[in-house]
This record gives sequence, structure tokens and C-alpha cells, in this order.
Amino acid sequence: MDRRLFLTTGFAALSGAVLASETKSSENREIKAIESAQVGCLVDTTLCIGCRKCEEACNRRNNLPRPENPFTDQTVFRDRRRPTEGAFTVVNEYPGMPSPDQKQIGTTHCKVQCMHCLTPSCVSACLVGAMTKQMDGSVVYNKNICLGCRYCMVACPFEIPAYEFSEPLKPKVRKCEFCADYKTKQGANPACAAACPTETLVFGKRQELLALARSRIKNRPDRYLDYIYGEYEAGGTSWLYLTGRPMKEIDLVPMPIKSPAVTTESIQHGIFKFGIIPMALYGFLAGLMWKNRKSEEKNELKKTEQTERGKQ
Amino acid sequence: MSPHHFHPQPLKKKFFTPGTFVLMVLMGIGTSFGLARLLTGLQSVTNLNNSYPWGIWIAIDVACGVALAAGGFTTAALVDIFGGKKYHPLLRPAVLTAWLGYVMVAIGLMFDLGRYWNIWQPMFHWQGNSVMFELAMCVMAYLIVLTFEIAPSILEGLKERIAKNEWGAGLLKKVEKPVLVIHSWIKIILPIFIIAGVVLSSMHQSSLGTVMVISPTKLSTLWYTPWLPLLFLLSAIMVGFPMVILESISSSKGLKRPVEMELLEPLSSKIPIFIGVYAWFKFGDLAFRFNELNFVEYPGATVAFAIEIIMGIIVPFILLSMKSVRRSKGWLLTSCLLVIFGVALNRINVFLVGYHPTFAKVNYYPAVGEIALTVGLIAFLIFLYRFFVNYFPILPAIEEISEAEPSIEEKMEKEEHIRPVTAWVFRGIAVVFLLTFIILYVVIHQKAIKASSLTYGEAFITKILQPQVEEEKGSPHQFRPEKYRNYYMMNSPLLNEKISYYEPVRFSHRSHDNYVNGDCGKCHHRVGDSSNRIGDDLKEMHASIEVKIGGSCSNCHKDLAEKTFQKCGDCHASSNEADYPTRIGLKGAYHRQCIGCHREQPPTTKAPVDCVSCHHPITPDHTELIKMAGNISPQAITLQCLECHPKVGQDVMNSAHWNWKGLTPSISGHEHSITTGLLMVMDNYTISLRPDLVNSSALHIGYSPKPGDIDFNNLRSIDCLVCHDTTGTYRKDENRGGLPVASVNLVEVAHKVGRPSRSNCGLCHYYAAGGPNYKHGDLEGEAVNADPEMDVHMGMADMRCQECHKTSAHQIAGMSFNVPVTEGRVRCESCHSETPHGITGYLSRHLDDHVRTVSCETCHIPSFARKAPTLMATDFSTAGQDRTTKLDSLGMPDYNKNQGSLTWGKNVVPVYKWYNGTRKSYIMGDKIDSIDYMELNTPQGEKHIPESRIFPFKLHTAVQPYDTENNILVPVKFKDEFEKNNDWNKAITSAMKSVNLDYSGKYGFVKTGMYTSIHHEVVRAKQALGCADCHRVEAVSCKRCHKNAQGMDELSHTQMMYPEVKNRMDFKSLGYEDDPAIMGGRFYMKLGRGKPPE
Repeated sequence: MDRRLFLTTGFAALSGAVLASETKSSENREIKAIESAQVGCLVDTTLCIGCRKCEEACNRRNNLPRPENPFTDQTVFRDRRRPTEGAFTVVNEYPGMPSPDQKQIGTTHCKVQCMHCLTPSCVSACLVGAMTKQMDGSVVYNKNICLGCRYCMVACPFEIPAYEFSEPLKPKVRKCEFCADYKTKQGANPACAAACPTETLVFGKRQELLALARSRIKNRPDRYLDYIYGEYEAGGTSWLYLTGRPMKEIDLVPMPIKSPAVTTESIQHGIFKFGIIPMALYGFLAGLMWKNRKSEEKNELKKTEQTERGKQ
Repeated sequence: MSPHHFHPQPLKKKFFTPGTFVLMVLMGIGTSFGLARLLTGLQSVTNLNNSYPWGIWIAIDVACGVALAAGGFTTAALVDIFGGKKYHPLLRPAVLTAWLGYVMVAIGLMFDLGRYWNIWQPMFHWQGNSVMFELAMCVMAYLIVLTFEIAPSILEGLKERIAKNEWGAGLLKKVEKPVLVIHSWIKIILPIFIIAGVVLSSMHQSSLGTVMVISPTKLSTLWYTPWLPLLFLLSAIMVGFPMVILESISSSKGLKRPVEMELLEPLSSKIPIFIGVYAWFKFGDLAFRFNELNFVEYPGATVAFAIEIIMGIIVPFILLSMKSVRRSKGWLLTSCLLVIFGVALNRINVFLVGYHPTFAKVNYYPAVGEIALTVGLIAFLIFLYRFFVNYFPILPAIEEISEAEPSIEEKMEKEEHIRPVTAWVFRGIAVVFLLTFIILYVVIHQKAIKASSLTYGEAFITKILQPQVEEEKGSPHQFRPEKYRNYYMMNSPLLNEKISYYEPVRFSHRSHDNYVNGDCGKCHHRVGDSSNRIGDDLKEMHASIEVKIGGSCSNCHKDLAEKTFQKCGDCHASSNEADYPTRIGLKGAYHRQCIGCHREQPPTTKAPVDCVSCHHPITPDHTELIKMAGNISPQAITLQCLECHPKVGQDVMNSAHWNWKGLTPSISGHEHSITTGLLMVMDNYTISLRPDLVNSSALHIGYSPKPGDIDFNNLRSIDCLVCHDTTGTYRKDENRGGLPVASVNLVEVAHKVGRPSRSNCGLCHYYAAGGPNYKHGDLEGEAVNADPEMDVHMGMADMRCQECHKTSAHQIAGMSFNVPVTEGRVRCESCHSETPHGITGYLSRHLDDHVRTVSCETCHIPSFARKAPTLMATDFSTAGQDRTTKLDSLGMPDYNKNQGSLTWGKNVVPVYKWYNGTRKSYIMGDKIDSIDYMELNTPQGEKHIPESRIFPFKLHTAVQPYDTENNILVPVKFKDEFEKNNDWNKAITSAMKSVNLDYSGKYGFVKTGMYTSIHHEVVRAKQALGCADCHRVEAVSCKRCHKNAQGMDELSHTQMMYPEVKNRMDFKSLGYEDDPAIMGGRFYMKLGRGKPPE
């Protein structure tokens, strides 16, 4: 039994060490991703008026079912909505005064959609690669190979992917795909940003959007919180948010700086790097078996006698 | 029993016991729910939603299933690798349970997976970054390994069946040869697979823990740790032997065989060691993260956590450490059950109880269908276990049998001897197979690592598509005129593009000047001042552009010489332009400029921030939507309308226009009444509508089933078209109970419906009291094509009625002065602010002072009925005479047989009264207070009441009949009664009967006055009253106060604008001693305003 104990502790220690070392290299990759030129969208929540034009544009572009009430219906703001299989983006209303040191008055609106993470957990989670991150930064879904296991929904820290639970045979995972036309490998100006009347949504290169956001914060410190949501959240996201009130108040929840996918990938690639640990374990167990079999054959007679004697 | 005499035997007991039937019933229920899921989807059977994508099918069927199948690999390792040969009798049942466990996992997954028919996809689409992929492949491989491990038992069972010539042997005999061959092969390579099974189990048992490591934000801190894979592996090892013991004891009991305590006791002595190792890491991890642990947030989770720790780890550890417990069958079973319970609870906790999505609206509880399917699966597992142990050699035989004769297994082994070379070839193939697996595994992982860094890391220039807006650069913007304009329709290429969707945006430049106190820089960029304005500072912006362009001002401002305005669109074209990507486009600039300011205004200003206040959508052409043709009834069209606009029917039926009654908060004494309305009041023009419903049913916005019988309760009777007709052809027929006249092409009207315009409202309201402008005085038929001289809102700004009479859900703001049913108030100040005279110069302060005392209408409507004459007096006492009707100087008839002699007025100066928003109305049946003169609706308000202001009114006088005994005004039935026989008494008797009032039979005539408030026919600002129109000329001299003022007195507005009207304002009757310009106003003393001239 001691051998067994030794084995498990050894295994644990080894995996721990690998885990620690691997995390470092993954972070480097992450930084590289942040620096790269990917597209994104900046949401300036202080400018949003809750007109729901983005929802309407999204609905039309993606041929989603039309809601019962028209998009001008403001009563939907009574609920805090989340993206669903029928609406990839929703705008929520957050009434009340922001924190006292902020100047912006009253109601804030905040748009919710897929954040298109730089290190997307859903992409990392999907076992067949039905979720892929495109070259332009958009995270898109391929229904043809999807199993419908919904692990992407568990994995998403922003709780975005929705699922057609009522579909018996061919349910799909539905989420914003950044209006990416991946046949031409080109990003597209997303329908929501094109429709936004106040340019609350600005589409562009992520780098430029970050610069734009910083300049807005610098020019109007009375209007903006000095924080860009999405710059580092969950390893950085393509969608960035500027707010005039604490992020948590408008459901932009705090996120770990590291993408959850980095942790799991570190564990996976760490423990199973080049298959060394499984092969070593196999070899060790095979050796043990061989040894025990040999001794067993040798002592077979003896053992039998012993047990029979013991029985008597 | 000696291990050497161990011979597994089929039990061969009666299979179909009552217990089996219970199992089958449970399986049947589970199957029906499973079928329901396959046919109707997950929604109908499960409680899963977007927040909780995984339920008990994953937490119990898969996670617990995998964990509790750990007995297979632990026992296999103990017996075959670590040399625990004596435990061999336990191996086969353990492996069988594991195999069945994984089969159950696979079946459960097929129900949980949405696209289960894609389950083969992972074999061809390798995603090495995914924990789930690793899990899927390992489980799949392990299932194969387990099949190899269990195969000998099955094959032996089949061979035995052949040997003993039992049921089915005849069929089996045909495949006897391959069965034997396969059996011998498997026997040879089995050790290789046994080791592989242990390795694969270690891998996927730990990976099962890694699955939830990806959810740090959702999984409770009580369980979330990056060490979950290790904890899962250790707990799986821990639960292995207890599972074997549980199976052994329970199957022994269930199948009525002695319990193998001599094996179980030493086996159980190892369990505390495994628990100890697991607890060491578990508690170490918890201690390390102790500060992060949140026990308060989810109390349920904390309880589950405590139970898991105490009942699943601590108690069984203590119990199993005691020898007495291990020797007692009952206690051993109890403590093993505790360990199993602890591990199962741990899996459920990690996958369900501890899973708290931030945005979940409802908590997840398993649905009946989920529980039924899970129970059914477990029943199926037990059923299969019973089946296999009954018909295949799994369980060790009972001693007597094993000692009586050599087992069939041993006999077979002798028969199936294979040459060593062949054996080695088989072993080689197995090893190659394993190596291939490993190599593939490594390749997939390395590929995944490389792929992820390629996708996330390398820069890739993406072509950004521009919005599909064809922007004509430098196109003329007509809304920037050379001269300042008070009011205009916005005009830009962007807006014009949407001209078929939205009406043009109306913009009152003048009002906005007031709001910003004449500070043009609030809206227009002003160099060097960025305070309170949204957008970049122009100076900085210019600097950045000039750096890029390096030119002078005229580079952009080409028309600088002519000193015209720079157009907004010259700089703000489309967004994301190459030269200055952070500059916003024209659409954004406008919206932000407007809304940015509007949002900062206090709510009382009602500055619109919604879309439709500025961009009113145009009603789409209904030709395609209304598929009707030919001769159809108007009610059919109403039904067609309601089909697409179902809410609207109820809205209309709640409105005052439909009910002719409603809330009347502005009638003193009837503030809370909802029954007062059109049919309850008396008036000067028709006396009362109520006895004459035959006539008046055409006034209702509905269709009456028969003339005079207005149907207030039927949705079908709503006349949508009278208000929404845009063709101008729709008319109601007085003689058909409000149905449209026969010549109207209803289908065409229905195809062309739209927002009501001035002519729709005017169809009724301009013709009140029988003819154009007869009643109101300020609502002339001309208003349809108004010119600015007649009304500035309608004529110059071309505003619709509902732009002031704000309408929502068919409730229309504003009220008649006579029938003041209120659905919202209309105030000039809603648009023009409380200080509307902001930028007119010297006078603005004095004019704004007036707003508190004088309504806007008083000065800005100098006279009414400027185009068409209005009725000023009606003398009913002269009605019924056969007099020849002459035309008076205005061209209007001076006599009507039904109404008596008529007096007309044109360009009438209003009567000015204090008015606080309420009036005292005469309601049918009220006693009259004077038989000389009485007022039907006196505006309430007095000088000393702050809310009162001076308003202009039209005062119409009439002489109408009353009951001289009862002292009440009486309605008169004109139609079919008075107009036929000209007998007042008969007409009154008939009318009084129809309204259920007592009539004494004696009538006289009383003079009544009726007010109508004047709100329309607003003149241009420069034509409003001057100071001297109301005040004495000497009182409004600027020099009274501004001693050094030069030329001020020549300001146009101090002059008299309408010199032909003398004594317009009678200050004495309004309660002033004298002209307030001299004596001081209501609320301030004479002040230092100089003394009145001697």
C-alpha cells in the first residue's frame, strides 16, 4: 500500500509543478494576444439611450424570430434580460443615481452580448471545436459538428451562449457571432454598431478602441470611471465598456484577469505533456505487475500450502 | 474458501422476482420520459435553462456514474497489479459494475446531448485544448478496455451454455469457433488492457474534476480550486473499495448468498488510508484558501458542504479505522455507504449545488422527468447486474459446487492452449495499439497548443467594412440656412434616406435658444470652450487635424470669404474614417448632441430621449397587409385591424373618445367622478345631446347597430378609419348610425391608413355645434390648410394635433372646456419653458414675469374666429317661428327655426378671466341659481390664488328653456319632436322622459352663458399683444425705471399692437384696483417702480 500512497503523492506533486510552470507560458501567450490587432467594439454606456435599435438590427441581420412587441416597446426594461436563443443582444436599463461622485444623472443602459474574449473559454471547452475564434477575433459556432453538450455554456464566464432547449432533434447553441462572415474571412461592421444612433457602439481595431476609450476618460474625468471593462477581464475581450457608474451596478461583474481557459489548458497540457506521465504510470504499473507475477509463480506452491495451513 | 478453488459460476436462480418487476416498472417510466425527451426536446422534460445548462443527468448519471464505477479499476489494480490475488473473487463483480456504470453514463449522455447523433464527431474533430475531449476519449477508450476485461466472463458463460446444452445453445453452437478464438486472444492480451484501464481511469477521473475548473465565476468558492482534478482522482480511488464492498454485501443479501467477510474485512482496512490521503489534500486545499471561502453567500451550499465533509469524510474515516466496525457486516456496510454517499454528494455539489451563475433568475431543481429517467437508468443498471450474475460466471461459486467438480473455466483453458509465439504477436499488436493511442494523444495536444497560440497570437489585418450608407461628401445641408430660422424640419442625407420610415424631424430653434439661455455654443462648437458640451474641444481637434493636413483654415472652410456657416457634415461624415478614426459620424454627432443635452436636463423639462419623440415612424402601406377586396362591411375592417393590433381595441374602449365620459378632475365637486361626460352636461348650442342620440350617434367614433343606439361595449363597433383615414374621402353617415356613407371605398381607405392629421380630428372638432367654427371659435375648418397668419403652429410649423395633444394608448391629452374629461393636460410651457422670452432683449425679463400671471394664449391670441364667423349668441325662445332667414353682415343666417335667432362674430376679442384649471360645471339635473343669468361652466380662479392665471375665453350666451317649478335646465328633443310640431312642452316632456327627470310641465326661458377656452389661432411672436394693448400707455414707459434709457420706448412691443380694440383688459373686473403696471402686481408691492403719474 505504501507504494500506492507514494504514487499518488508523487503524481500530485508532479502535476502541481507542471501546473505552476505552464501558467506562466500561457500568460505570455495572452499578452501577445492583447497586443495583436483584432477588431472589437467599444460600448460607451454613458451615451446609450436604450432605443433598442441594436436589438432590432441584430434581429434582422440574423433572421431571428420577431418578438411579439415591436422593438420600440420600453416595457421590456422592467426585467433584467439576458441574451437568449432568440435575441443575441439585449439592452438593460439600470435606474437610480450612480455613485455620488459621478456626474451622470439617472438611468443607465447597458448592452449585453457575446464579449468575444481574446482567450475564449467556450472555444477551449468545446470538445469538437464547434466554437472557433476567427482571425478577426470573432468567436463563431459550427452547428455541423456540435454535440449539444452545452459545456460552452458552463464554461462562459459571461454566461452568454444560449441553447434551443425546445428543439428536439437539431438544437443549436446560439450567440452573437460578431456578424462575422467567415466564408470570406472578413470581419463585418456589426449590425448593432451600424444601427446605433448615438455611436454608443464604436466598431474598430481593438487597439484603437482602447486608445479612444483612454482619451475619453482623460478628457472627461467627471463623466467616466477610470476603468475600461474588457481590457483585462477574463484575459481581455473584444468588446470594451466605458461607464459612468460602478461596473457592478450595471451587471458588468468582476472577472478574474486570467481567462479560465488558461487554467484548464495548463492542467491538461501540463499533466499530459507528450504523454509522459501516463506512459510513466503505465510503465511503472507494468513493471509492478511483471514483478508480482514472477514472485507469484515462484511462491505459488508455497502460498497454497500456507493458506491451507492457515485454514487448518 | 481458497482463492485457488475460486470458480465463478452463474447463479442460475429465478430471474423474474417481484424486485425485478419493480425495476422493470421504473425502467418503463424512465423510458417513457426518455422518449418524450427525444421527441419533444429537453425543454419539455427537464428544468434546464440557459443559466443552468447541466442538470442531474450530468451531475448524477455522468459524474456520479463515473466516480462510482471506480471500483473496477481499483480492484483490477489491487488484484492484477499489486498482487492481491486473494481478492480475485471480488474482481469480476467489480469490473461488471464498472462496465455497467459506464454503459449507463453513455446511455444517460445520449439523452442529455442535444445533437446525440453527432456523438461520433470527437473521433474526427480533435480539440486537444478541451477537457471534455480528453474526458470523452478516455471514457470511450476505457469502455473498450472494460469490455475486454468483462469479455472472458461473457464468453465463458456462452461456452458453458454450449457445453451444458442450455437454452439458445443450438444457435450458439454455430458461432462456437469464433467465441473460443476470441476468448483465447483476450486472455492473452488482457494484462496489457488491465494496466491501460488503470491509467485511463486515473486520467479521466481527474479530468472530470478539471471540467469544472473552467467555471471560476460560477462554482462556489467552497469547491472551486485548480486542484479539483487531483481531489477527484483521490476521491475516486477512495470510493473504489467501498463500492466493491457494497456490491458484495448487497448482492449476497439480495441473491441470498453468504457474505464474503473474510475478504471484505482486510479489503476495508485499506479504505481509511485512502480517505486519509484524500482528506489530507482536501483539507490542505481548504486551509490554504480559507480566506477566500464564502460560507454565507449560499446557505444551502454551505449545508451541503458540511454534510459532505462530516458525513462523507470524517465519520467514515473514524468508523473504518476501528477493527470492530470492519468486522461487523452492518457497520461495514454503513460506513462504506457513507463514503459512497460522500463522494456522490461531492460530485453533485461540484456540478450542481455549488454552481451559481451570476445572472440566473430561477434556481434549478430537477424536473420529474429528469428524476424519472435517472431512476430508470439506475434500475436498468441493477437489472442488468442481476441478469449478468444470473446467467454468466461473475460471482464466486458457493463452496460445495466449486469443490465438487473442476470448473468449466479450467477445462476450457486446457482446450484453448495457444502457442507462445502467437501469444507474443497478440501482445505486440495490443502494445502497438496502445502506443498509437498515446502518440495520437500527444499529437492532438501539441496541435491544440500550437493552434491556440496561432489563433490568439498572430496579428491579422482585418478589412473593416464601412456601414452601408452612401454619404455624399460636402452635400448641401439645407437646414443650415443663411439666416437664423425659428423652426424647421431637419434635413440631412442620412435622414432623407429614411424618409419612407420616419417623418421629418421637427426642430424649434427658437425654443432651444430659450433652454440654453441664448448660448449658441451649447450646441454649436465653439473654439476653446469644452465646458458642458459633449464632443472634443474644437481647438484640440483642429490642432490634431492640422498636424495631419498641415494646411490653413480655408483648406476646409472653403467658403470662409462668404462667411457662411461650416456644415456639420463636412467634418462629421461617416464613422471610423481613415484620417481620424475616433471622430464620430454625423448620425452619432447629432444624436449625441441632442440626447447628451436632453439627458442632463431635469425630468420636469420632459426633454425627449426616446426615439419616437423626434423620429415618428411612418405608417407602412397597408395594401399588402390587408388582403380584402370588394364590398365589405366596416366592422370587418375593424376586425382586420384588431387582428394585428390586438391591444388597441381595449385601449380605444378605455378612451374618452369612445366612452364619452371619464375622469373629470377639473370640475369642482366632480373631481373623482368617472361618469361625468358629454351626455351629462348642458350646453348653449344644442342644449343637450342626450335626447337626440339619433342625430349624435354619427359623432361617436364607432358604428351603431341602429341610429340612436350607441354600442359602447363592442370591439367590432370601433370606427378605426374615421381617425386614421389619409385619403380624405371617409365620411360618416348621420342617417345610418355612424356607418360610413355608401360611396366610400372602404378597402382603399383601409389600405391607406396613417397617423391622424388635422383634417381627421377636424372632421368632428371643427364642426362642433353643427358647422365650421360654430362652437369653438379658434378651431376653423381653415385649420386643415392653415397659414401662419391664422395659426403659427399649424400654419408655419405644420404640426399635427397630437404633437401638442400628446397621445399614448389612444388616450389623448387635452380637454374640452365644456366636457372636461381629462386624459392629460396640454401646456404651452411643455415646449416653450417657463421663461420663453429668453433672447428677445430688453423686454424678456418683464415678459417672463408675466408668465406667472398671464397665460401664453392671452397675449399670443389677440382675437379668435379670424377667418370664419363663430356663433356668439343663440335665442331659443324665438325658435319655431316661421320667419324668413336673412343673411347678416358676415354672410351668416340670423335665424334658424330650431335654434331661434343667431348672432355671429368674426375676429372676436376674447373675454379674460382668472382660471386655475378647474371650472364649476352645470350637470344635468342641478338646480339653477339664478333665473336672470347663469353660467354653465364658470372658470374657477381668483387673483389671490397663485395657480390662477388670466386666460382668454369665448363667451357664448343663449336663452334656453328651464323648468320653472323644479328650477332645472331641461333638455329638448328636437329631432322628430320640436322640428315637427314646434311645441316646446311636448319636446321637453319627451326629452325629460328619455333622461329620467321629473318635468313639472311648466317651462320658462333663462339666459345662460357658456365659456369656451381659446388655445388655437396663435399668432406670430411679433404680432402678439404689445404692452400698451392691456396697460395704460403712460404705465409702460421704460423711463419710469430706466432713467437713462435711450430709445427704449421705441421698442415695438411697448406700443399698442391692436389700437382698434379699446379696453381689452378690464383690470377692475379681474380684481385689481387699477392697472397693475402702476399699482404693482399680485404678489409684489408697488416697489420702487416710480410713482404713478399725477
